[in-house]
Amino acid sequence: MMDAKMVRIQEEDFSVEEEVNALRETSKRIGGIATFLGCARDFSEGRDVFSICFEQYAGMAETALAALRAEAMEKFDIIEVRIIHRITTVHAGDQIVLIVVGAEHRKPAFAACEWMIDTLKQRVPIWKKEVTPDGDSWVTQHP
Amino acid sequence: MSVRVLFFGSLADKLGQRECSVPATECMTLADLVRLVKCECFSPLLLAVNQQQVTDATTMITDGDEVAIMPPFSGG
Repeated sequence: MMDAKMVRIQEEDFSVEEEVNALRETSKRIGGIATFLGCARDFSEGRDVFSICFEQYAGMAETALAALRAEAMEKFDIIEVRIIHRITTVHAGDQIVLIVVGAEHRKPAFAACEWMIDTLKQRVPIWKKEVTPDGDSWVTQHP
Repeated sequence: MSVRVLFFGSLADKLGQRECSVPATECMTLADLVRLVKCECFSPLLLAVNQQQVTDATTMITDGDEVAIMPPFSGG
């Protein structure tokens, strides 16, 4: 059963196909869908990464994601947005974050998607710690 | 009569605690609270009061408030 919530923070993995289909079902006016899928890498800052642990400020993180979605809906000519961020320990190749944007046309869908992932990194209280051969290391920010 | 203070990420590791409680006093600002929990030397810091991000360090803190002291975010 697909989760009806447009913004979610969860431990479990998600299906990109199911999320895209759920977004498509919200409107027949959608003509272009842009997605951003963030995955865990096995290498960062010149060293191997065994795993990445995520931490959130529960409550505020989901509120900030909802505000991000609302602002994108105001700012761009788009129809619907779904955002999911996992809070758990992930390994190389695992999915972390998904943003799906539906619009009548591709340009606002791409623009909104890029703006949301850039802004999410600045505004949503989530932190990640990389587990490396040299020990654990909190990530400051990636461009 | 207390204020709940939460720490996250690298800051929580440096302090060796994720949460503490401090007595609520009259006329206590956010900046006062940051000094009280010995976080003034960490920079940059992001602050939230009752789950709302706040940039004005003169914001007054009152009994029952929940204050979060946070390093820069790194989600995504």
